[in-house]
Formats: sequence, structure tokens, C-alpha cells
Amino acid sequence: MIRVFLVDDHRLFLSGVRTELSDPRDIELIGSAGDVDDAIDALRLDPPDVALVDVHMPGGGGLAILENVLQTHPQVKFLALSVSDAAEDVIAMIRAGARGYVTKSIRPEALVDAIRRVHAGDAVFSPMLAGFVLDTFAATIPVPEDPELDQLTTREQEVLRLIARGFSYKQVAHRLYISHKTVESHVSAVLRKLQLSNRYELANWASRRRIV
Amino acid sequence: MPARRERNRLVAGVAGGIADQLGIPDLYVRAAFLVLALVWGLGILLYLVLWALTLDKTARQDPAPEADGERRAAYVLMFIGSLLLLRSLGIWSGDGWVWPGLALSFGIAFLMDRGDIDPRSAILGLFDPQSGRFRARTVIGIVLALAGVSILANVAAPAVGTVLLAVLITGVGMVVLFGPWVWKLGADLGAERRKRIRQEERADMAAHLHDSVLQTLALIQRTDDSRRMVTLARVQERELRRWLYDTSPADGPELLSAALQEEADRVEHTFDVRVQLVTVGDRPVDDDVRAIIAATGESLNNAARHSGTDRISVYSEVGTDATDVWISDHGVGFDPTAVAGDRHGITASIIGRMEGKGGTATISSAPGEGTEVHLYLGGEPR
Repeated sequence: MIRVFLVDDHRLFLSGVRTELSDPRDIELIGSAGDVDDAIDALRLDPPDVALVDVHMPGGGGLAILENVLQTHPQVKFLALSVSDAAEDVIAMIRAGARGYVTKSIRPEALVDAIRRVHAGDAVFSPMLAGFVLDTFAATIPVPEDPELDQLTTREQEVLRLIARGFSYKQVAHRLYISHKTVESHVSAVLRKLQLSNRYELANWASRRRIV
Repeated sequence: MPARRERNRLVAGVAGGIADQLGIPDLYVRAAFLVLALVWGLGILLYLVLWALTLDKTARQDPAPEADGERRAAYVLMFIGSLLLLRSLGIWSGDGWVWPGLALSFGIAFLMDRGDIDPRSAILGLFDPQSGRFRARTVIGIVLALAGVSILANVAAPAVGTVLLAVLITGVGMVVLFGPWVWKLGADLGAERRKRIRQEERADMAAHLHDSVLQTLALIQRTDDSRRMVTLARVQERELRRWLYDTSPADGPELLSAALQEEADRVEHTFDVRVQLVTVGDRPVDDDVRAIIAATGESLNNAARHSGTDRISVYSEVGTDATDVWISDHGVGFDPTAVAGDRHGITASIIGRMEGKGGTATISSAPGEGTEVHLYLGGEPR
């Protein structure tokens, strides 16, 4: 049973997700919160397996929740939720330790699947996030500080490209003639690079994105 | 007495007046005067007399109806008869002058006559292969002209003598024979270029109308809500007006990503679907990019209307040596080989547009497998 906690300041969205998560037998919604402070308290009091966190919220947003909770409870796995045009905030979430990022327009079954995957320790990439990672890693000159972390392998790029084009992990595996498991390990590797890489570009991506 | 022409005349309008009176083309009357002029200047004298007789301006007569073949034959016989009469009367400058002159002037008149007076269009029509009548006219004209030239050369050359005349006659013959052909060749090239430009403009127009007006009309037919119909019609009208009367595309977005976002928004609003747009890299909008944007828009239209799914993914990647856009849906798909040729959307709006810019458009789909359109444009972004 996966214990899930939900944080979002939109009541309508909250109740929608709650309904969607009531069907699967392996998922139990243990609670929800509508603002940052409530969420931090609740998460510390009874840490869930997976926390779904909205990026945009008054009082610091999802980022504040991640930074506070992961300090004391690093075992909680965070899945960031956002409307699709908020990718520049999502990268901060990923850097702060979120295991994945999905858009709010995601289909219910895909959301459930994403929760399961994050719980199993894998990373979840939305097409948007895959596009962002490609943009940052592929289009700029590598920083020589830590070349292992600052470059994506060809295979990782292929996987990300297919995800960016809207394919599911299963379809990506089928297209590249590799197993589902291999796709997940590629994506996890990318996420690790994203979180550990000290690329200057990552930090400044948001501002660049607005100006370009 | 025939009236003189006041317009459309060469000298004083005498010949034109006679032509109107007899109902035959001016050219032949002028040719007749020319031939008579060879008989000790008789034609010139006759012209002056007629001019004098019509000095007081007679009210302009309506031209006689055009003479038919029999009357024309009668005129010809009368003219030749008059010449023979002059000859037997002794008013004659010699067979070596009049007969070649007759053949030459009437041959040229024949060449130039197309029922109108414009010699340019007459010459252009010479080699028109579609009209047997003109071909016959050409052959007769050339035979007459050649006969005149050769008789002149045979009879008159010993008298006037020398190489100069031979060169002159050959030159004239060449001009008569090949001049119109060279002229027409030049005119043809120009005409063909104009035609090609017109065709390109037409294809451009057809593609645009298909993308905008036809799509809107199709939507309106499927809408029951009258207010929505009015809205659609208004939006389309505005767009069409802008396209027709405003040639500057300056007010569009400046970057590929922004333009793709605009297309995605448009399709989302028009068709009530969700478009997931992911862009990697960017480049300024130029003519090449406009083709990509238009092809993307059309691919989105197709996906929204035919795929049966409400989710479409667009992924664009601008690299250092190529620009790629993928438009995919996981809908019903179709058999690309089974699409009829008259379906303008795929052939012209997508493939034609990309190939027009040296790129490619690949459409992969199968029934039940979803559809993916891959637009590719090589070369560095300018």
C-alpha cells in the first residue's frame, strides 16, 4: 500500500485528484493540505511514502515544503505537480530533491502510474521536463568541472527525446528495443545528473528562458 | 465616293476609306496602291486624286460588312484584270517590276492580316500550332514572299546587278522567315515565366485558403450554435482580410517557439483539444520557419479533426545543423497510402510546404497506432 499525501491550494483540483486516487487498491490517500505551513506540519507529523506537491502556492510554494521536509525526513518521495507553463519553477523543485514532475493535465491513470514509479524509486519525467533537460544539457558547451555529470549519454538523449515527444515509458522501450526497466534506469540517471550537476546553466535557466 | 479615314490611317486615310467601303482589310488596299505605284507611279497619282476628291470632309460612313470569299475573289480578279488592261494599253513599267511587287506586297499583307490591324499580334500568331487556318496562311504567305524575292532576284538583279542586292534580298528573306520565330521565342519565354509565377502564387493561395477558410467553413457546417458560427466567421474574416490586404508579416511572433505556441493555442481553442508543446532550442522566424509553422498548424488541424483523441504532442528541436518538429497523437491513425490525392491537407499544406523549402515531411501512421508527422529542415538557422 502506497501512502500518499496531497498538497494543493486549489480546492477543486484537490477534490478531483482525491477522487482519482480512491480507485486504485494499492494507493491510500492519507491526507491533504491547502497551504505551505499546514503541509509542512502534516508531513512531519505523519510522513507519507509519496507527497504530491503543487509548485505554485502562496507562502513559498512547493519549494519551501521540499526544503523543510527533506531536511528532517529524507525518505519522503516528492512528485511535483504544475501547470505546464511553470517549468522554470519545476527545475528548482527537481534540484531541491523532487523525484519527478508531472503536469496537471495528466490523465488519472498516468498520475497513478507516476505515483507508483516514484514510490519504487524511479524518476518521472513529463515531456516538458524532458525537453528542458535536453535544452540545458545538449545545447550548451559542457562545463569541464565534472564531465560525467555534465553530459548526457546518447541513449539518455534518445530516451528523453521520445518522452518529450509524448511517448510513455512503455512506448519508449518498444521504440528503442530496450526493456521498460532500462528506460527507467536511464531516466533515473538523468534525474541524478540534474540534481547533482553544478552547471551554471541550470541555475540560470529560468531567467534565460524568460528572456530568450 | 468613299470617305477618308480620320483615325487609324497611315498617310491620309484614303486606302482605309476604300477598305471600309469594300469590306476588306486595309492591308490589301494598301498593297494594291503599292503595286500600282510600281507602274510608273500610277498608284501615287491615284492616291493623290482620290485624296483631292475627298478633301471636303464627307460625313463618316459606316464600314461595309466584311466581304465574303466570293466578293474577295471578285476584287482580286478585278484588280488583276485592271493590271492586265494597263499592260495591254502600254502603261507598264515592265513585267520584272510589277509581278514580283504584286507577289511581295500581297504576300506580306497576307502574313500580317489576322483580321485586325496590329502587325505584332499578326506575326505572333504566325506559328500558332493550334490553328490550321493560320498555318495555311503562313505557308501561303511564305510561298508568295519567296516567289517575289526569287523573281525579283532573277529579273532585276542583272539590271541593278551586284552582290549588294543579293545580300539585301537574302537578309529580307531571313527576317521575313525567322524574325517572327525569334520574336515569338522571346515572347514565349517571358510568357512562361509569368505563367510559372502565377502558378506559384496560386498554389500559395490554395494552401492558405485550405488552411484557413476551408477549415472554418467545415467547422461552421458542424456547429449548431449560431453564436459560435458568427464568432468563427468573424475571426476568419479578420484573418483573411489581414492576409489579403496586409502584405507585411511583421506582426507575427519573432521566434519559432512563440509561433508554435500560438499554433498550439489556436488549435486548442478551435477544436477543444489539449496540445502538449515542448520546445528545445529556438531560432528567429524566417521564411523557412514560416513553412515549418504552417505545416505544424496543418498537422495539428488534421490530428485534432481525425485522430479521435483529445491530446496532441508537439516537440520541436532546433539543433546546430537541423530543425525538427514532431507532431504526434495516439489516436485512431490511418493508412497513409490510402489517402486520396485530392486531400489537399497532407500533400500541399504539409509535404509540399516542407519540400518547397528543401526539407522533408514524413508521416508515419497505421490504423489504431496513432499518427506521427516529422518535419525536418536541414541547414543552419539563419
